Amino acid sequence: MTDMDHDRLREAAGLYALGALAGAERDAFEAHLATCAECAADVRALGGVVTALPYAVPQVDPPYALRGRVLAAAGAPQSSSRSTVTQIPERTHVSVNVAWLAVAALLVVSVALGAYAVNLRQRVGGLEGQLRDAVNRLDLTEQRLAEATRAAERAQLRMAVLTSPDLKQVNLTGQPPAPRAAGRAFWSRSNGLLFAANELPPLPAGRTYQLWFLTPGAPVNAGLIKPDQNGRITAAFDTPPGTPDPTGVAVSIEPEGGVPAPTGAIYLAGLTQ
Amino acid sequence: MWLLWAVVAGHPGETAADHAALERMARGDHDALAELYDRHARLVFSLALRIVRDQGDAEDVAQEVFSQAWRQAARYESRRGNVIAWLLNLTRSRAIDRLRGRRSRPEAASDSLALEMPDLAPPIDERLALSGRAAEIRAAVDELSVLQRMAIELAFYEGLTHVEIAERLELPLGTVKTRIRQGLLKLKDRLAGVM
Repeated sequence: MTDMDHDRLREAAGLYALGALAGAERDAFEAHLATCAECAADVRALGGVVTALPYAVPQVDPPYALRGRVLAAAGAPQSSSRSTVTQIPERTHVSVNVAWLAVAALLVVSVALGAYAVNLRQRVGGLEGQLRDAVNRLDLTEQRLAEATRAAERAQLRMAVLTSPDLKQVNLTGQPPAPRAAGRAFWSRSNGLLFAANELPPLPAGRTYQLWFLTPGAPVNAGLIKPDQNGRITAAFDTPPGTPDPTGVAVSIEPEGGVPAPTGAIYLAGLTQ
Repeated sequence: MWLLWAVVAGHPGETAADHAALERMARGDHDALAELYDRHARLVFSLALRIVRDQGDAEDVAQEVFSQAWRQAARYESRRGNVIAWLLNLTRSRAIDRLRGRRSRPEAASDSLALEMPDLAPPIDERLALSGRAAEIRAAVDELSVLQRMAIELAFYEGLTHVEIAERLELPLGTVKTRIRQGLLKLKDRLAGVM
């Protein structure tokens, strides 16, 4: 186990404590955890924080009936389930005429009830159809709500950058390979980089656009950008730790997957204002 | 996940009453289950409701959690941890299972649209103890940056992996990783005196 492996795995302690590691990554971390006291201590400390999170949830009292359900499910004796038997008074004597009348009345009522039942069945059929439609509409609404929630989450992140007290702006202009392209970047040390551009030319196969922080030293990789079919892109990026305050931002074209230092033509560039 | 809960040690003293209740539950004492329920149902139900966001589903989750505690009370001893942490962990995983089930195949209709009125009379001392601690923890969460809080909440309440969080927020994977770690470390420092 090299120090680098340890550092990389230690980064994952928080993810592990939150249950946000899956599959092979989780297995690798658990294997490391068994042999590394430092990471075990890290997981213990961060796990303590995770166990505190449910206390931050708005507290709502469960309905009173739930207590009874829980106890009944465990087979607890019901304390208040006395059954009452209703006594039906017995009839002593009914005259024949009245009995016939009653039969005739029953006949009338049952014919009417039969017709009513047919009518009810039709109405139930109609209502079932309406219910299905309503449920389908509800599903669609829920999907849209989920999409809207995601859009709101992304918007909130972008707002956090734009409202940072330490905000710096960069206007990027199209370079010779893409004279019509234009872009804008907003950077804050605390909240990261928000980047937007349009009119970026379509990428040839096997190539990607890559975003760079220009610094007094070498350019620092900010991440890859994938414009849509109209050449537009809006995306948020983090500032890699140790990056000096950028003097500008640039976009170059690079081999797919990106490169550690720019090699291709510059498409967009601008200086911090 | 069990490894995690084995690593996260509980506070002794604090859970003595819960341990005693579990021992009695293991012997089939229903009053002990009622006691455990009265002490923790509010926290369990609230967490379930925050995750599934549906009253009926949250009730089902809470019932499943206490039923599981009843069935597994005898086996609990060996794990030696904090009982409430165990209950909350069960709650979270059951609630997230439900959430995932709902996502993969949208349910036809909820049979519990009618909201039941909540029981408004939990023991007052418990409520006070909890609200003091809860206020501290909530304040600490509010102090996180938007990105830190959002990433932690998506992992904790929606059960997303860091890869899924990165996709959902359209952020690089490394950003999600570092922000979750920074956020948890910040919470740890802030809550050092509370926990």
